[in-house]
Amino acid sequence: MKKFLLPLLFLFLFLAESLFVQFFPGNSFGGKVIVPHFLFTAIVFLTIFTGKKQGIIYAAIFGMIFDIVYVEIIGIYFFLFPFICYLVTKIMHIMQANIIIAFLVSLFAIALLEIGVYEMNFLIHVTDLDFMGFLNLRFYPTLILNAIFVLIFGYPLKRRFEKYADALRDE
Amino acid sequence: MPQFFLNKRLIILLVSIIVLVALIGFSLRERSKLSWPEQFVKDTTGWVQSLVSKPANFVGGFFENLQDLQNTYEENKELKSRIEDLVSLEAENQELKKDNKELRDILGEKRTLRDFKPLPATVIGRNPDRWHEMIIIDKGNLNGIKKNMAVVTAKGLIGKVKTVNQFSSTVQLLSAMDPKNRISVTIQGETSIYGFVQGFDDKKKLLLVKSIPAGVKVEKGQNVITSGKGGVFPEGLVVGKVVEVKPDQYGLNQTALIKPGADFYDIENVIVIKRLMTQPEITDMENEKEKDL
Repeated sequence: MKKFLLPLLFLFLFLAESLFVQFFPGNSFGGKVIVPHFLFTAIVFLTIFTGKKQGIIYAAIFGMIFDIVYVEIIGIYFFLFPFICYLVTKIMHIMQANIIIAFLVSLFAIALLEIGVYEMNFLIHVTDLDFMGFLNLRFYPTLILNAIFVLIFGYPLKRRFEKYADALRDE
Repeated sequence: MPQFFLNKRLIILLVSIIVLVALIGFSLRERSKLSWPEQFVKDTTGWVQSLVSKPANFVGGFFENLQDLQNTYEENKELKSRIEDLVSLEAENQELKKDNKELRDILGEKRTLRDFKPLPATVIGRNPDRWHEMIIIDKGNLNGIKKNMAVVTAKGLIGKVKTVNQFSSTVQLLSAMDPKNRISVTIQGETSIYGFVQGFDDKKKLLLVKSIPAGVKVEKGQNVITSGKGGVFPEGLVVGKVVEVKPDQYGLNQTALIKPGADFYDIENVIVIKRLMTQPEITDMENEKEKDL
């Protein structure tokens, strides 16, 4: 049973993003676009507190499912999720794994993800928004929302993943 | 050998970039349907999503009802004033319908571009990253949904079916930017003006109707409906109202900015429109002369 807990948690976050966008009133906040990255935040926490291998594997699997189900262009998140998780492990080599560092690093990772996705979409002409427009319309509101999410759920996620790491070490 | 490991990492990065480009190229090309692994993943998640979204819809609906209760009094006042107009409108509508039917019988023309069959569906998911504005609905191939069908809500057109799986399908909203997505529309004035819905202004949240000839006068507040001439959608689906008109880049055409009638957020139930008039084949549209050219 415990084995399935982690995939179920990620699956729930995966669906929660879609539900959030579906029910969140789109016209509030002056038409700003707020993108939830609950799943990715959890994956970054997993990378920080459990380990590089688990983090990157989960990032690749859920990146691919995300691409197939929501985006229908395979490759964008499939590439960016594991790549940014890899960068996060590089950063964590020189940092201590405590909750404040995790908060800052996950925000940094979300910022990288948003910019990466924007650049890719700009390249394949999914959007023609200029960079300043992107920053004001999507980037800042998205960071604020995800900061709130990390503030609320960061600590429980950290506890969960540290326990998971302990369980892995005991095996 | 640190040099060797550095090289290995570089090679992995390069290979993954090549794979990335190949995958994006593979998924961007014009596909009539998705490959079976994709369909399998989408159907499986679609099933889970419909399990989750039904109770979520119920809870969301409850809170919405509470909100509605707050301004019941004002709404009631407004509705009462409108209901008086409605009676006369209904009578007129009935008369016109009868007239129309009689005239059509005389002409012997049975089917029109307006005829369609509605297929109701429920929204079970939405793309969270909001670059590709797409929603997922709980009806698929088995319910008779085909690619490119129009999708509407009670207030107007919201998009078209992009991909179909067995039990679910994906709808691309009008607010998505896709140069291949053109919808032939009519601006209702004294004379009908034709144009194409082509793109969406992200900042102003307005649809762009392009290719309107420079000479014609388009006014604010005119209604925009689908024309049915594109060969895919039926005629007469509401798109929105004209807000602003401006000349395009070279002054040869005009571009009208349209406020969409439907809300692209907060969509719960949709209707997929199946056009009954046959779709023209490309080969029917070109004549002998064109073929020679």
